[in-house]
Amino acid sequence: MKSLLSQILSQIKDGAVYAFHWLRDNPGQASQIYSAVIRWVMPLLAIAILLGILRSMMRARHSSEVWAHLAVDGQMSFPVRHWECIVGRAKHCDVTINLPTVSRTQCSLTRRDDGSWRVHDLSPKKNTSVNGRPIPAGGAEIADGDQLSFADVKLIFRPASFITQAIERKEDDTWRIKSFGRPLFLLTLFQLLTAVELTLNHPETGRAVALCYGILALTMWGYVVANRAMGRRGFEAELLAFFSCTVSLAVVAGSQTGAIVKQTVAIVMGVILFFVLGLYLRDLNRTVRTRYFMAAAAVGLLSLSLVFGAVTNGAQNWISIGGISLQPSELAKVCFIFAGAATLERLYVKHNLWGFIILTFTCLGLLALMSDYGTAAIFFVVFLVIAYLRSGDFATLGLISLGCVAALGLVLRMKPYIAARFATWGHAWQYASTSGYQQVRAMSAAASGGLVGVGAGNGWLRYVAAGDTDLVFALVCEEWGLIIALLLVASIICLSVFAVRVTRSGRSSYYTIAACAAASLFAFQTSLNVLGSVDILPLTGVTFPFLSNGGTSMLASWGVLAFIKAGDTRQNASFAVKSQAATVTAKPAGPYVDADVIRLAPDDPGPDSDR
Amino acid sequence: MEKITRRTLACLFISLLLTLGVGLFVFRFFSDGGHWVSFAANDHIYEDGVLESGTVTDRRGNLLARAEYGGWTYSDDYSVRVATLHAVGDAEGRIGTGAISAIADKLSGYNMITGTRTLFGGERRLYMTLDAELCARAYESIQGLNGCIGLYNYKNGEILCSVSAPSFDPWYPPEIAEGDTSFDGIYIDRLLSSTFIPGSTMKIVTCAAAYDTIDGILQRDFYCDGSVDFDGHEVTCPYEHGDLILQSALTSSCNGVFGSLAVEMGPEVMRSYVEKCGLTTSYSIDGIKTRASTFDFDTEDGFLAWSGVGQGFDQVNPCSMMILCGAVANGGRSAVPHLISKITTGDGLRVSLYYNHSTDRLLQAETAAYLRQAMLDNVTYGYGDYYFPELNVGAKTGTAQSDNSSENNAWFVGFCADEEHPYAFVVYLEGGGAGSGMALDVASYLLASALELGY
Repeated sequence: MKSLLSQILSQIKDGAVYAFHWLRDNPGQASQIYSAVIRWVMPLLAIAILLGILRSMMRARHSSEVWAHLAVDGQMSFPVRHWECIVGRAKHCDVTINLPTVSRTQCSLTRRDDGSWRVHDLSPKKNTSVNGRPIPAGGAEIADGDQLSFADVKLIFRPASFITQAIERKEDDTWRIKSFGRPLFLLTLFQLLTAVELTLNHPETGRAVALCYGILALTMWGYVVANRAMGRRGFEAELLAFFSCTVSLAVVAGSQTGAIVKQTVAIVMGVILFFVLGLYLRDLNRTVRTRYFMAAAAVGLLSLSLVFGAVTNGAQNWISIGGISLQPSELAKVCFIFAGAATLERLYVKHNLWGFIILTFTCLGLLALMSDYGTAAIFFVVFLVIAYLRSGDFATLGLISLGCVAALGLVLRMKPYIAARFATWGHAWQYASTSGYQQVRAMSAAASGGLVGVGAGNGWLRYVAAGDTDLVFALVCEEWGLIIALLLVASIICLSVFAVRVTRSGRSSYYTIAACAAASLFAFQTSLNVLGSVDILPLTGVTFPFLSNGGTSMLASWGVLAFIKAGDTRQNASFAVKSQAATVTAKPAGPYVDADVIRLAPDDPGPDSDR
Repeated sequence: MEKITRRTLACLFISLLLTLGVGLFVFRFFSDGGHWVSFAANDHIYEDGVLESGTVTDRRGNLLARAEYGGWTYSDDYSVRVATLHAVGDAEGRIGTGAISAIADKLSGYNMITGTRTLFGGERRLYMTLDAELCARAYESIQGLNGCIGLYNYKNGEILCSVSAPSFDPWYPPEIAEGDTSFDGIYIDRLLSSTFIPGSTMKIVTCAAAYDTIDGILQRDFYCDGSVDFDGHEVTCPYEHGDLILQSALTSSCNGVFGSLAVEMGPEVMRSYVEKCGLTTSYSIDGIKTRASTFDFDTEDGFLAWSGVGQGFDQVNPCSMMILCGAVANGGRSAVPHLISKITTGDGLRVSLYYNHSTDRLLQAETAAYLRQAMLDNVTYGYGDYYFPELNVGAKTGTAQSDNSSENNAWFVGFCADEEHPYAFVVYLEGGGAGSGMALDVASYLLASALELGY
């Protein structure tokens, strides 16, 4: 029996040795066989990863938090569900009191990080008072047991953490974030298989590839472990980003040997920036105070590239510091969102957009001087999204857009090379060797990949100018196939849906606005990149977030992702959100009505208090 | 907060646009992928602009072209090389409609699932529907004139003969000096990619329109005194045809009668009939688009009359005329022509599927039946049955006067009405004189050759 076992073992050993020698002697054939098999496996693996992440995203249902109550006569109360709340008669208010004497927007309640609350009078009659004292223009503190009164309404303010009979929220199983383990393991496997394929296809860079993929996997796992240690369980957005980064390394690997190391460093730095920015965003007061600095930084960064920038492809957006090339306009995006988002208090107390409009047009002007029209378009769309979220005013935004279209018309007359791009747009095949050169090659290479691709590192589009940046979508189609390329686009769309979902119960409008601006930036930038490369939009030369070759772009993508993370208020999900009182929600003593709208009109006795 | 939360939905709008845009790309990826792949800069299947792999044969497996040693080799037979050049194409891709260029994706083994990296190796063998011998004979029969010859099966769409002249030997492509006009149009497949003044073959369309739209047209008597005047524009016949009915007017190809009918029906009817008859259609022949015919009927009556008899502003694509003749023979519809018989791997494993496509209804069944008899009678009573022994052929001649040349261009189009020989054909010869002259001889020889070769 024992001899049989040892025989079998020795057989296996011989087989393994033979296989090893054969692989060593026939590297080309081995890579052929491996690549022929793996091209069918990778799309399936990618689908499994994305579905796993998506499942986690969609299953975590959102029930809102209750931060305070406004009690009426000790009989019933209104829940206050956000850190920023508007009280008034209008339907869109967070606490709606349907009495004709109440103003449409009567007052706002704002919670600070330390748990203190402030109230601002927003009514035209200025008839809101706390404990009988009218509220001054700068707002007033409001504490537990204080009486908030306006018109004929008297409400007792009860913040959640001070309520004596606090009731733990019943742990709702569907509400908790599901296991993230499977997609994480599958993604690690995906990285491993990719590294093996790249090594087989390009043995000369094998060591660098193995090292870089090792660092990527370690970074990912290190990040996850650190988060678990902090008691956080939500990783969907980051896993999507790590998935794109995995493909990004492969895109970069074949182009230049040094590039993969640079890209890996950029990813690690990006994750660090993401983490630091996320922690910084936790504190709303601190964040809001930094907005002016960030506005200045956005303008400063853009000015920097205007003054020191080198001109490439007609756009002046690169600067070189000590041998390292940077694209400051990428980082300016992060600052721009940081400066553009605003708290509700700010929106209602100083309701104008002028500061933000001035910032936007300063940035647009600088970008126009640099001839970086792709980035300018991104800034403009982010501006529109933020401005719409802040004001809801379609008419003004429409006018501003019209103005910009007119300005664009002027630019086209002045800058013939931009106009040429528009002339090519939709007719790339007619200009296949001139202004449509890149687009037709992108389409040809993309189609050559079919659904499953010709294998990582086996394509030729990477040798076309900007193949791994502006045309990266087509490059992925070529080498990885249409399925994976579409999944990468789907990742970006998922981020948008995710941002909208998790901000349903946003604490502060700052986080809601910033998260949506970030998601819109990703979606729009991806649109310009993907559709520009295949001649559905004009080719503007912007990068695909998390995917294109380019350190600054990678860094900025992670920075922007922090805003989405800061908006994720699911229980114990995001490191960028303090957990504090969020775990405890409370009901006040006595009968409790869990309704957003309570009718107090005399002819309406209100809901049955036994309900 | 609630208000802002509600507004966040707006940011999904960008994602929606992205989804729609990518959806459009995916649609194009599947519909145009083959064209995108067949691009000379695509290093997956081209090397220095030359397609790397593939073999093209005729329907019997005779070699027409093959990728070898970084270039292409062609048939050993000079006549076959020259005759099939425009259908097969050249290595350098100068003949854009040739198989080597236009169907490069299929030759390379591309499919939309595995892309250019195929499961069963790269070599693909493309069997064209052409018969090399028939093409060679057709080419020889035109004795150096420019023009084109097409013959196809209107039941299953197979093109047996496709010849375009001027041509050249792909082994020794001409070196064309800057400004040298003697090779003009040498890379153009005249059957698929050109349009010409149709001459009296246009009367098939005018006759169909009159048959459908004018009540009692079959009972109407016409008289031709050799010329009709339309507000100062004269439409003339070579001689006085005298008393005519519609059928005899077609056989004698009377300009006066058909010119008057075109004016009587007006530009709207004429326009709708050139569309209905498929002349203005751009047919897709295995993805190669034919050039659509063009017309302008919105003119004075005199020009409209000339347009009705195939002069004036009419420009007709020979292939679409051939398809129309197929429809006349086949009850109003015919098969859309195709050039690919099948595609196999190097080991003979078939990897292509072909579905028989039919055209839209080009003619009402009754109209087709009338025209079929009329065109059969043209041969029987006009040109002479003895040109087509053993066959039942219907046809129409055309003699087109070109503005650029004093010589007439000859057309001879028609069909064979036999069940066993369901062929439609077109012969167009520049400087060929009258349609009933050399073009008729060429058509006669073409059909006899087809018969002799077993078709």
